[in-house]
Amino acid sequence: MKVQVDPERCQGHTLCAMIAPDLFTLDDVDGHSTAIDGEVPAGQEAKAAEAIRSCPEQAISVIP
Amino acid sequence: MSTESVTDDDAERKKNRYHFDRHTPEYREQFTEITGEMLSKCPVAWSDTYGGHWVAAGHSEVFELARSAEYVSNDHDPYNERRGYHGISIPAPNTPFRGGFIEMDPPEQRHYRQALNPYLSPAAVNRWRPLVDEVIRASLNEKIETGELDFVDDLANIVPAVLTLAMLGVPLVNWDIYVEPVHASVYTPPTSPDMARIQQSRIAMRDDMSRQLAEIRANPRPGMINGLTQAQIVGAPAPDNELLGVISLIIGGGFDTTTALTSHALEWLWQHPAERARLSAERDTLLDPATEEFLRYFTPAPGDGRTISADCEIAGQRFKEGERLWLSWAMSNRDPEVFPHPNEVDLARTGNRHHSFGLGLHRCIGSNVARMVFKRMVVAVLDRMPDYACDPARAEHYQTIGIIQGMKHLPATFTPGPRIGDGLAETIARMQVVCDEQRLAEPVTVRKGAAEIG
Repeated sequence: MKVQVDPERCQGHTLCAMIAPDLFTLDDVDGHSTAIDGEVPAGQEAKAAEAIRSCPEQAISVIP
Repeated sequence: MSTESVTDDDAERKKNRYHFDRHTPEYREQFTEITGEMLSKCPVAWSDTYGGHWVAAGHSEVFELARSAEYVSNDHDPYNERRGYHGISIPAPNTPFRGGFIEMDPPEQRHYRQALNPYLSPAAVNRWRPLVDEVIRASLNEKIETGELDFVDDLANIVPAVLTLAMLGVPLVNWDIYVEPVHASVYTPPTSPDMARIQQSRIAMRDDMSRQLAEIRANPRPGMINGLTQAQIVGAPAPDNELLGVISLIIGGGFDTTTALTSHALEWLWQHPAERARLSAERDTLLDPATEEFLRYFTPAPGDGRTISADCEIAGQRFKEGERLWLSWAMSNRDPEVFPHPNEVDLARTGNRHHSFGLGLHRCIGSNVARMVFKRMVVAVLDRMPDYACDPARAEHYQTIGIIQGMKHLPATFTPGPRIGDGLAETIARMQVVCDEQRLAEPVTVRKGAAEIG
Protein backbone atom coordinates (compact mmCIF):
# COMPACT_ATOMS: atom_id res chain seq x y z
CA MET A 1 0.00 0.00 0.00
CA LYS A 2 1.24 3.50 -0.92
CA VAL A 3 -0.43 6.85 -0.23
CA GLN A 4 -0.21 10.26 -1.88
CA VAL A 5 -1.34 13.80 -1.11
CA ASP A 6 -2.77 15.90 -3.93
CA PRO A 7 -0.90 19.21 -3.54
CA GLU A 8 -3.69 21.06 -5.38
CA ARG A 9 -6.26 19.94 -2.82
CA CYS A 10 -4.21 20.03 0.40
CA GLN A 11 -4.80 23.24 2.39
CA GLY A 12 -2.62 22.41 5.39
CA HIS A 13 -5.27 21.24 7.88
CA THR A 14 -2.54 18.92 9.37
CA LEU A 15 -4.90 16.18 10.55
CA CYS A 16 -3.02 13.50 8.56
CA ALA A 17 0.26 14.23 10.32
CA MET A 18 -1.51 14.34 13.67
CA ILE A 19 -2.98 10.88 13.07
CA ALA A 20 -0.03 9.27 11.26
CA PRO A 21 3.15 11.27 11.96
CA ASP A 22 5.33 8.56 10.41
CA LEU A 23 3.50 8.70 7.09
CA PHE A 24 3.10 12.42 6.42
CA THR A 25 5.51 15.36 6.61
CA LEU A 26 4.35 18.94 6.89
CA ASP A 27 6.15 21.70 5.06
CA ASP A 28 7.90 24.08 7.49
CA VAL A 29 6.75 27.16 5.61
CA ASP A 30 3.08 26.54 4.78
CA GLY A 31 2.22 23.33 6.67
CA HIS A 32 1.06 21.50 3.54
CA SER A 33 1.46 17.74 3.65
CA THR A 34 3.54 15.25 1.67
CA ALA A 35 3.27 11.48 2.03
CA ILE A 36 6.36 9.34 2.53
CA ASP A 37 7.81 7.70 -0.54
CA GLY A 38 7.40 3.99 -0.84
CA GLU A 39 5.30 1.43 0.94
CA VAL A 40 3.34 2.24 4.09
CA PRO A 41 5.22 0.23 6.74
CA ALA A 42 3.55 -2.91 8.06
CA GLY A 43 1.22 -2.12 10.94
CA GLN A 44 0.62 1.47 9.77
CA GLU A 45 -2.14 0.64 7.26
CA ALA A 46 -4.96 1.46 9.68
CA LYS A 47 -3.42 4.85 10.44
CA ALA A 48 -3.09 5.56 6.71
CA ALA A 49 -6.75 4.68 6.22
CA GLU A 50 -7.77 6.90 9.14
CA ALA A 51 -5.76 9.81 7.69
CA ILE A 52 -7.49 9.37 4.33
CA ARG A 53 -10.89 9.28 6.02
CA SER A 54 -10.19 12.34 8.18
CA CYS A 55 -8.81 14.73 5.56
CA PRO A 56 -11.20 17.71 5.37
CA GLU A 57 -10.22 18.35 1.74
CA GLN A 58 -10.22 14.65 0.74
CA ALA A 59 -6.71 15.21 -0.63
CA ILE A 60 -5.17 11.84 0.30
CA SER A 61 -5.52 8.69 -1.76
CA VAL A 62 -4.05 5.24 -2.10
CA ILE A 63 -1.74 4.85 -5.08
CA PRO A 64 -3.14 1.99 -7.17
CA MET B 1 -36.74 34.76 -21.30
CA SER B 2 -39.95 36.55 -20.33
CA THR B 3 -40.43 38.01 -16.87
CA GLU B 4 -42.97 35.34 -16.09
CA SER B 5 -40.67 32.46 -16.98
CA VAL B 6 -37.83 34.06 -14.96
CA THR B 7 -40.21 34.10 -12.00
CA ASP B 8 -41.20 30.51 -12.62
CA ASP B 9 -37.58 29.52 -12.93
CA ASP B 10 -36.76 31.34 -9.68
CA ALA B 11 -39.62 29.63 -7.89
CA GLU B 12 -38.33 26.28 -9.13
CA ARG B 13 -34.73 27.01 -8.10
CA LYS B 14 -35.85 28.23 -4.69
CA LYS B 15 -38.40 25.51 -3.99
CA ASN B 16 -36.47 24.34 -0.93
CA ARG B 17 -37.21 27.14 1.49
CA TYR B 18 -36.36 27.59 5.14
CA HIS B 19 -36.79 30.68 7.30
CA PHE B 20 -33.24 30.92 8.62
CA ASP B 21 -32.20 33.65 11.04
CA ARG B 22 -28.98 32.83 12.83
CA HIS B 23 -28.88 36.19 14.63
CA THR B 24 -31.82 35.37 16.91
CA PRO B 25 -31.56 33.81 20.39
CA GLU B 26 -34.00 31.12 19.18
CA TYR B 27 -31.44 29.89 16.68
CA ARG B 28 -28.99 29.24 19.51
CA GLU B 29 -31.62 27.67 21.74
CA GLN B 30 -33.03 25.42 19.00
CA PHE B 31 -29.79 24.78 17.14
CA THR B 32 -29.99 20.97 17.32
CA GLU B 33 -33.61 20.85 16.11
CA ILE B 34 -33.16 23.42 13.33
CA THR B 35 -29.98 21.68 12.17
CA GLY B 36 -31.63 18.26 12.16
CA GLU B 37 -34.55 19.61 10.16
CA MET B 38 -32.40 21.37 7.56
CA LEU B 39 -30.06 18.39 7.18
CA SER B 40 -32.91 15.96 6.59
CA LYS B 41 -35.21 18.17 4.47
CA CYS B 42 -33.18 20.87 2.76
CA PRO B 43 -29.37 20.67 3.03
CA VAL B 44 -29.33 23.70 0.72
CA ALA B 45 -32.26 26.08 1.22
CA TRP B 46 -33.38 29.55 0.22
CA SER B 47 -34.13 31.83 3.17
CA ASP B 48 -36.06 35.10 2.81
CA THR B 49 -34.12 36.74 5.66
CA TYR B 50 -31.64 39.63 5.14
CA GLY B 51 -32.73 40.35 1.60
CA GLY B 52 -32.83 36.66 0.71
CA HIS B 53 -29.89 34.26 0.73
CA TRP B 54 -28.97 30.61 0.35
CA VAL B 55 -28.06 28.51 3.36
CA ALA B 56 -25.89 25.40 2.99
CA ALA B 57 -26.13 23.02 5.95
CA GLY B 58 -25.30 19.57 4.52
CA HIS B 59 -21.73 18.31 4.89
CA SER B 60 -21.24 17.31 1.25
CA GLU B 61 -23.00 20.46 0.00
CA VAL B 62 -20.84 22.74 2.17
CA PHE B 63 -17.78 20.77 1.05
CA GLU B 64 -18.60 21.28 -2.63
CA LEU B 65 -19.53 24.94 -2.31
CA ALA B 66 -16.60 25.99 -0.12
CA ARG B 67 -14.18 24.47 -2.60
CA SER B 68 -15.77 26.04 -5.74
CA ALA B 69 -13.70 29.22 -5.80
CA GLU B 70 -14.41 29.75 -9.49
CA TYR B 71 -18.13 30.28 -8.77
CA VAL B 72 -18.11 31.45 -5.16
CA SER B 73 -16.48 34.76 -4.18
CA ASN B 74 -15.31 36.17 -0.84
CA ASP B 75 -14.82 39.65 -2.27
CA HIS B 76 -15.93 42.65 -0.25
CA ASP B 77 -16.07 45.71 -2.48
CA PRO B 78 -17.46 48.59 -0.40
CA TYR B 79 -16.65 51.27 -3.01
CA ASN B 80 -18.11 49.33 -5.94
CA GLU B 81 -14.83 49.14 -7.82
CA ARG B 82 -15.55 45.62 -9.06
CA ARG B 83 -18.98 44.06 -8.65
CA GLY B 84 -20.03 45.51 -5.32
CA TYR B 85 -20.01 42.23 -3.40
CA HIS B 86 -20.43 42.20 0.37
CA GLY B 87 -17.72 39.83 1.59
CA ILE B 88 -18.40 37.27 4.31
CA SER B 89 -21.09 39.01 6.38
CA ILE B 90 -24.82 38.39 6.03
CA PRO B 91 -26.48 40.85 6.36
CA ALA B 92 -24.01 43.09 4.50
CA PRO B 93 -21.87 45.08 6.92
CA ASN B 94 -22.42 48.82 7.16
CA THR B 95 -18.71 49.59 7.52
CA PRO B 96 -16.77 50.55 4.39
CA PHE B 97 -13.80 48.32 5.28
CA ARG B 98 -12.60 45.07 3.78
CA GLY B 99 -11.93 42.62 6.58
CA GLY B 100 -8.55 41.44 5.33
CA PHE B 101 -7.85 38.58 2.94
CA ILE B 102 -10.89 36.55 4.00
CA GLU B 103 -12.81 39.21 2.07
CA MET B 104 -10.63 38.90 -1.04
CA ASP B 105 -10.31 36.47 -3.92
CA PRO B 106 -7.07 35.17 -5.44
CA PRO B 107 -4.53 36.25 -6.51
CA GLU B 108 -4.58 39.06 -3.91
CA GLN B 109 -5.78 36.69 -1.20
CA ARG B 110 -3.04 34.18 -1.98
CA HIS B 111 -0.30 36.81 -1.81
CA TYR B 112 -1.33 37.83 1.71
CA ARG B 113 -1.43 34.22 2.85
CA GLN B 114 1.96 33.51 1.35
CA ALA B 115 3.34 36.44 3.33
CA LEU B 116 1.85 35.10 6.59
CA ASN B 117 2.28 31.31 6.23
CA PRO B 118 5.88 31.26 7.54
CA TYR B 119 4.63 32.83 10.79
CA LEU B 120 1.70 30.44 11.22
CA SER B 121 2.76 27.00 9.95
CA PRO B 122 2.97 24.16 12.49
CA ALA B 123 6.77 24.53 12.60
CA ALA B 124 6.45 28.29 13.16
CA VAL B 125 3.79 27.95 15.86
CA ASN B 126 5.61 25.24 17.83
CA ARG B 127 8.42 27.71 18.53
CA TRP B 128 6.03 29.69 20.74
CA ARG B 129 4.99 26.86 23.03
CA PRO B 130 7.42 27.67 25.91
CA LEU B 131 6.20 31.28 25.94
CA VAL B 132 2.55 30.19 25.88
CA ASP B 133 3.16 27.90 28.86
CA GLU B 134 4.68 30.80 30.79
CA VAL B 135 1.70 33.08 30.14
CA ILE B 136 -0.73 30.30 31.14
CA ARG B 137 1.21 29.53 34.32
CA ALA B 138 1.27 33.20 35.29
CA SER B 139 -2.45 33.74 34.49
CA LEU B 140 -3.40 30.84 36.75
CA ASN B 141 -1.03 32.14 39.46
CA GLU B 142 -3.16 35.25 39.77
CA LYS B 143 -6.08 33.14 41.04
CA ILE B 144 -4.66 29.82 42.21
CA GLU B 145 -4.45 30.76 45.92
CA THR B 146 -8.02 32.10 46.05
CA GLY B 147 -9.83 28.98 44.84
CA GLU B 148 -11.95 31.03 42.43
CA LEU B 149 -11.55 32.26 38.86
CA ASP B 150 -13.41 33.10 35.69
CA PHE B 151 -12.06 30.87 32.92
CA VAL B 152 -12.93 33.53 30.33
CA ASP B 153 -11.62 36.68 32.02
CA ASP B 154 -8.70 35.15 33.87
CA LEU B 155 -7.34 32.66 31.34
CA ALA B 156 -8.96 32.13 27.94
CA ASN B 157 -9.18 35.84 27.08
CA ILE B 158 -5.60 36.55 28.08
CA VAL B 159 -3.42 33.86 26.53
CA PRO B 160 -4.60 34.01 22.88
CA ALA B 161 -4.42 37.82 23.02
CA VAL B 162 -0.86 37.95 24.39
CA LEU B 163 0.36 35.36 21.88
CA THR B 164 -1.34 37.02 18.89
CA LEU B 165 0.22 40.39 19.75
CA ALA B 166 3.63 38.75 20.21
CA MET B 167 3.36 37.15 16.77
CA LEU B 168 2.26 40.43 15.19
CA GLY B 169 5.20 42.29 16.76
CA VAL B 170 3.01 44.47 19.02
CA PRO B 171 4.17 45.07 22.64
CA LEU B 172 2.66 42.33 24.83
CA VAL B 173 1.67 44.79 27.55
CA ASN B 174 -0.89 46.26 25.11
CA TRP B 175 -3.02 43.11 25.31
CA ASP B 176 -5.68 44.74 27.44
CA ILE B 177 -6.21 47.52 24.88
CA TYR B 178 -7.27 44.78 22.48
CA VAL B 179 -9.14 42.19 24.56
CA GLU B 180 -12.18 44.18 25.59
CA PRO B 181 -13.18 45.60 22.18
CA VAL B 182 -12.60 42.33 20.33
CA HIS B 183 -14.52 40.24 22.82
CA ALA B 184 -17.34 42.65 23.71
CA SER B 185 -18.06 43.89 20.21
CA VAL B 186 -18.92 40.34 19.15
CA TYR B 187 -21.56 39.76 21.82
CA THR B 188 -22.94 43.26 22.48
CA PRO B 189 -26.11 44.01 20.47
CA PRO B 190 -26.01 47.34 18.59
CA THR B 191 -28.91 48.59 20.72
CA SER B 192 -27.12 47.99 24.05
CA PRO B 193 -26.51 51.02 26.31
CA ASP B 194 -22.95 49.67 26.68
CA MET B 195 -22.30 50.14 22.96
CA ALA B 196 -20.94 53.71 23.26
CA ARG B 197 -18.27 52.57 25.70
CA ILE B 198 -17.36 49.61 23.47
CA GLN B 199 -17.10 51.96 20.46
CA GLN B 200 -14.61 54.02 22.46
CA SER B 201 -12.53 50.94 23.20
CA ARG B 202 -12.64 49.97 19.51
CA ILE B 203 -11.33 53.40 18.56
CA ALA B 204 -8.50 53.03 21.08
CA MET B 205 -7.63 49.65 19.57
CA ARG B 206 -7.74 51.00 16.01
CA ASP B 207 -5.48 53.91 17.07
CA ASP B 208 -2.97 51.52 18.60
CA MET B 209 -2.98 49.34 15.46
CA SER B 210 -2.30 52.38 13.26
CA ARG B 211 0.46 53.52 15.60
CA GLN B 212 2.12 50.06 15.58
CA LEU B 213 1.92 49.85 11.79
CA ALA B 214 3.52 53.30 11.39
CA GLU B 215 6.24 52.47 13.93
CA ILE B 216 7.07 49.19 12.24
CA ARG B 217 7.15 50.81 8.80
CA ALA B 218 9.61 53.41 10.14
CA ASN B 219 11.71 51.01 12.25
CA PRO B 220 11.12 47.40 11.22
CA ARG B 221 10.91 44.84 14.03
CA PRO B 222 10.06 41.13 13.67
CA GLY B 223 6.45 40.00 13.40
CA MET B 224 3.56 39.51 11.03
CA ILE B 225 3.01 43.27 10.68
CA ASN B 226 6.55 43.61 9.37
CA GLY B 227 5.98 40.69 7.00
CA LEU B 228 2.86 42.41 5.68
CA THR B 229 4.61 45.74 5.10
CA GLN B 230 7.32 43.94 3.10
CA ALA B 231 4.92 41.82 1.03
CA GLN B 232 4.28 42.36 -2.67
CA ILE B 233 0.53 42.06 -3.23
CA VAL B 234 -0.17 41.71 -6.96
CA GLY B 235 3.12 43.43 -7.69
CA ALA B 236 2.99 46.31 -5.21
CA PRO B 237 3.13 46.93 -1.45
CA ALA B 238 -0.30 47.02 0.20
CA PRO B 239 -1.76 50.35 1.40
CA ASP B 240 -2.28 50.98 5.12
CA ASN B 241 -6.07 50.65 5.03
CA GLU B 242 -5.81 47.13 3.59
CA LEU B 243 -3.10 46.18 6.11
CA LEU B 244 -5.26 47.43 8.99
CA GLY B 245 -8.02 45.16 7.68
CA VAL B 246 -5.59 42.24 7.64
CA ILE B 247 -4.31 42.99 11.15
CA SER B 248 -7.92 43.23 12.38
CA LEU B 249 -8.64 39.86 10.77
CA ILE B 250 -5.66 38.26 12.53
CA ILE B 251 -6.75 39.77 15.86
CA GLY B 252 -10.42 38.86 15.38
CA GLY B 253 -9.50 35.35 14.30
CA GLY B 254 -6.84 34.89 16.96
CA PHE B 255 -8.68 36.06 20.05
CA ASP B 256 -12.34 35.31 20.52
CA THR B 257 -12.51 31.98 18.66
CA THR B 258 -9.92 30.24 20.85
CA THR B 259 -11.51 31.80 23.93
CA ALA B 260 -14.88 30.39 22.82
CA LEU B 261 -13.52 26.90 22.22
CA THR B 262 -11.69 26.78 25.55
CA SER B 263 -14.56 27.99 27.69
CA HIS B 264 -17.06 25.63 26.07
CA ALA B 265 -14.72 22.65 26.42
CA LEU B 266 -13.99 23.42 30.09
CA GLU B 267 -17.71 23.77 30.79
CA TRP B 268 -18.42 20.44 29.04
CA LEU B 269 -15.64 18.68 30.94
CA TRP B 270 -17.09 19.93 34.21
CA GLN B 271 -20.50 18.57 33.18
CA HIS B 272 -18.88 15.19 32.37
CA PRO B 273 -16.51 14.40 35.25
CA ALA B 274 -15.69 10.85 34.12
CA GLU B 275 -14.68 12.17 30.70
CA ARG B 276 -12.61 14.88 32.36
CA ALA B 277 -10.71 12.27 34.38
CA ARG B 278 -10.27 10.14 31.28
CA LEU B 279 -8.97 13.05 29.20
CA SER B 280 -6.48 13.93 31.91
CA ALA B 281 -5.29 10.34 32.35
CA GLU B 282 -5.11 9.52 28.62
CA ARG B 283 -4.03 12.93 27.36
CA ASP B 284 -1.10 11.55 25.35
CA THR B 285 -3.47 9.80 22.97
CA LEU B 286 -6.79 11.50 23.67
CA LEU B 287 -5.99 15.22 23.65
CA ASP B 288 -5.59 15.43 19.85
CA PRO B 289 -8.88 13.72 18.90
CA ALA B 290 -10.69 15.43 21.81
CA THR B 291 -9.55 18.83 20.50
CA GLU B 292 -10.94 18.03 17.05
CA GLU B 293 -14.17 16.85 18.64
CA PHE B 294 -14.59 20.03 20.69
CA LEU B 295 -13.89 21.99 17.51
CA ARG B 296 -16.56 20.00 15.66
CA TYR B 297 -19.18 20.09 18.37
CA PHE B 298 -18.85 23.74 19.42
CA THR B 299 -17.74 25.26 16.07
CA PRO B 300 -16.64 28.62 17.53
CA ALA B 301 -16.89 30.38 14.12
CA PRO B 302 -20.21 28.92 12.94
CA GLY B 303 -20.07 29.92 9.27
CA ASP B 304 -19.09 32.36 6.54
CA GLY B 305 -20.98 34.29 3.89
CA ARG B 306 -20.10 34.20 0.19
CA THR B 307 -21.42 35.64 -3.08
CA ILE B 308 -22.13 33.55 -6.18
CA SER B 309 -19.84 35.01 -8.88
CA ALA B 310 -21.24 33.18 -11.95
CA ASP B 311 -24.40 31.24 -12.73
CA CYS B 312 -23.70 27.63 -11.82
CA GLU B 313 -25.07 24.34 -10.58
CA ILE B 314 -23.28 22.93 -7.54
CA ALA B 315 -24.37 20.09 -5.26
CA GLY B 316 -27.57 19.73 -7.29
CA GLN B 317 -28.64 23.34 -6.78
CA ARG B 318 -28.72 26.07 -9.45
CA PHE B 319 -27.38 29.45 -8.33
CA LYS B 320 -27.38 32.87 -10.04
CA GLU B 321 -24.59 35.42 -10.07
CA GLY B 322 -24.90 37.95 -7.25
CA GLU B 323 -26.88 35.73 -4.87
CA ARG B 324 -25.64 35.50 -1.30
CA LEU B 325 -24.80 32.20 0.35
CA TRP B 326 -24.24 31.22 3.99
CA LEU B 327 -21.92 28.25 4.48
CA SER B 328 -22.75 26.79 7.86
CA TRP B 329 -19.70 25.04 9.26
CA ALA B 330 -21.65 24.45 12.48
CA MET B 331 -24.62 22.68 10.87
CA SER B 332 -22.48 20.67 8.46
CA ASN B 333 -20.52 19.48 11.50
CA ARG B 334 -23.68 17.71 12.73
CA ASP B 335 -24.42 15.79 9.53
CA PRO B 336 -25.20 12.16 10.44
CA GLU B 337 -24.00 11.06 6.97
CA VAL B 338 -20.45 11.82 8.12
CA PHE B 339 -20.62 11.84 11.93
CA PRO B 340 -22.35 8.93 13.71
CA HIS B 341 -24.30 10.28 16.72
CA PRO B 342 -23.55 13.85 15.60
CA ASN B 343 -25.09 15.51 18.65
CA GLU B 344 -22.91 13.66 21.12
CA VAL B 345 -19.34 14.49 22.09
CA ASP B 346 -17.08 11.48 21.54
CA LEU B 347 -13.59 12.46 22.68
CA ALA B 348 -12.02 9.60 20.72
CA ARG B 349 -14.02 10.17 17.51
CA THR B 350 -12.24 9.05 14.35
CA GLY B 351 -12.73 10.22 10.77
CA ASN B 352 -13.51 13.68 12.17
CA ARG B 353 -13.73 15.67 8.94
CA HIS B 354 -15.14 18.72 10.65
CA HIS B 355 -15.41 22.11 8.95
CA SER B 356 -14.62 24.29 11.96
CA PHE B 357 -11.61 25.91 10.28
CA GLY B 358 -13.45 26.26 6.98
CA LEU B 359 -12.36 24.55 3.81
CA GLY B 360 -10.57 25.23 0.57
CA LEU B 361 -8.32 28.18 -0.05
CA HIS B 362 -9.76 30.24 2.84
CA ARG B 363 -9.02 27.55 5.48
CA CYS B 364 -8.28 29.30 8.80
CA ILE B 365 -4.66 30.40 8.60
CA GLY B 366 -4.40 30.41 12.41
CA SER B 367 -5.61 26.85 13.00
CA ASN B 368 -2.22 25.70 14.28
CA VAL B 369 -2.14 28.55 16.80
CA ALA B 370 -5.67 27.80 17.97
CA ARG B 371 -5.00 24.12 18.54
CA MET B 372 -1.73 24.66 20.37
CA VAL B 373 -3.02 27.39 22.70
CA PHE B 374 -6.22 25.46 23.43
CA LYS B 375 -4.37 22.25 24.31
CA ARG B 376 -1.85 24.01 26.56
CA MET B 377 -4.62 25.84 28.45
CA VAL B 378 -6.72 22.71 28.97
CA VAL B 379 -3.77 20.65 30.19
CA ALA B 380 -2.71 23.39 32.61
CA VAL B 381 -6.22 23.59 34.07
CA LEU B 382 -6.41 19.79 34.45
CA ASP B 383 -3.05 19.83 36.25
CA ARG B 384 -3.42 22.84 38.51
CA MET B 385 -7.13 22.82 39.34
CA PRO B 386 -8.22 19.24 38.65
CA ASP B 387 -11.36 19.50 40.80
CA TYR B 388 -12.70 22.76 39.36
CA ALA B 389 -16.46 23.19 39.48
CA CYS B 390 -18.24 25.72 37.28
CA ASP B 391 -21.05 27.88 38.59
CA PRO B 392 -23.96 27.33 36.21
CA ALA B 393 -25.90 30.25 37.67
CA ARG B 394 -23.16 32.67 36.67
CA ALA B 395 -21.91 31.01 33.46
CA GLU B 396 -22.91 33.27 30.59
CA HIS B 397 -23.13 32.21 26.97
CA TYR B 398 -23.39 34.64 24.07
CA GLN B 399 -27.07 35.30 23.54
CA THR B 400 -26.74 34.73 19.80
CA ILE B 401 -24.29 32.65 17.79
CA GLY B 402 -24.58 34.41 14.44
CA ILE B 403 -20.90 35.40 14.44
CA ILE B 404 -19.14 33.54 17.26
CA GLN B 405 -20.43 30.79 19.51
CA GLY B 406 -18.74 32.10 22.64
CA MET B 407 -19.02 32.67 26.36
CA LYS B 408 -18.89 35.95 28.26
CA HIS B 409 -18.14 34.37 31.61
CA LEU B 410 -17.40 30.97 33.09
CA PRO B 411 -16.78 31.33 36.84
CA ALA B 412 -15.46 28.31 38.72
CA THR B 413 -14.25 27.30 42.16
CA PHE B 414 -11.51 24.79 43.01
CA THR B 415 -9.25 23.66 45.85
CA PRO B 416 -6.66 26.44 46.23
CA GLY B 417 -3.10 25.56 45.25
CA PRO B 418 0.34 27.17 45.41
CA ARG B 419 1.63 29.82 43.03
CA ILE B 420 4.41 28.64 40.77
CA GLY B 421 6.85 31.42 39.87
CA ASP B 422 5.89 35.02 39.18
CA GLY B 423 2.59 36.71 38.35
CA LEU B 424 1.12 37.91 35.06
CA ALA B 425 2.54 41.45 34.84
CA GLU B 426 6.06 40.27 35.68
CA THR B 427 5.80 37.36 33.27
CA ILE B 428 4.59 39.55 30.42
CA ALA B 429 7.52 41.92 31.00
CA ARG B 430 9.97 38.99 30.99
CA MET B 431 8.39 37.50 27.86
CA GLN B 432 8.75 40.84 26.08
CA VAL B 433 12.51 40.67 26.73
CA VAL B 434 12.57 37.08 25.45
CA CYS B 435 10.68 38.12 22.29
CA ASP B 436 13.01 41.05 21.66
CA GLU B 437 16.33 39.35 22.46
CA GLN B 438 15.57 36.10 20.64
CA ARG B 439 13.62 37.75 17.79
CA LEU B 440 10.89 35.16 18.30
CA ALA B 441 8.46 36.83 15.91
CA GLU B 442 10.70 36.30 12.87
CA PRO B 443 9.20 33.97 10.25
CA VAL B 444 10.26 30.32 10.45
CA THR B 445 12.31 30.88 7.29
CA VAL B 446 14.59 33.16 9.36
CA ARG B 447 14.48 31.61 12.84
CA LYS B 448 13.77 27.91 13.39
CA GLY B 449 14.43 27.30 17.10
CA ALA B 450 11.87 27.37 19.91
CA ALA B 451 11.79 30.14 22.50
CA GLU B 452 14.28 29.59 25.32
CA ILE B 453 12.96 30.66 28.69
CA GLY B 454 15.70 31.17 31.29
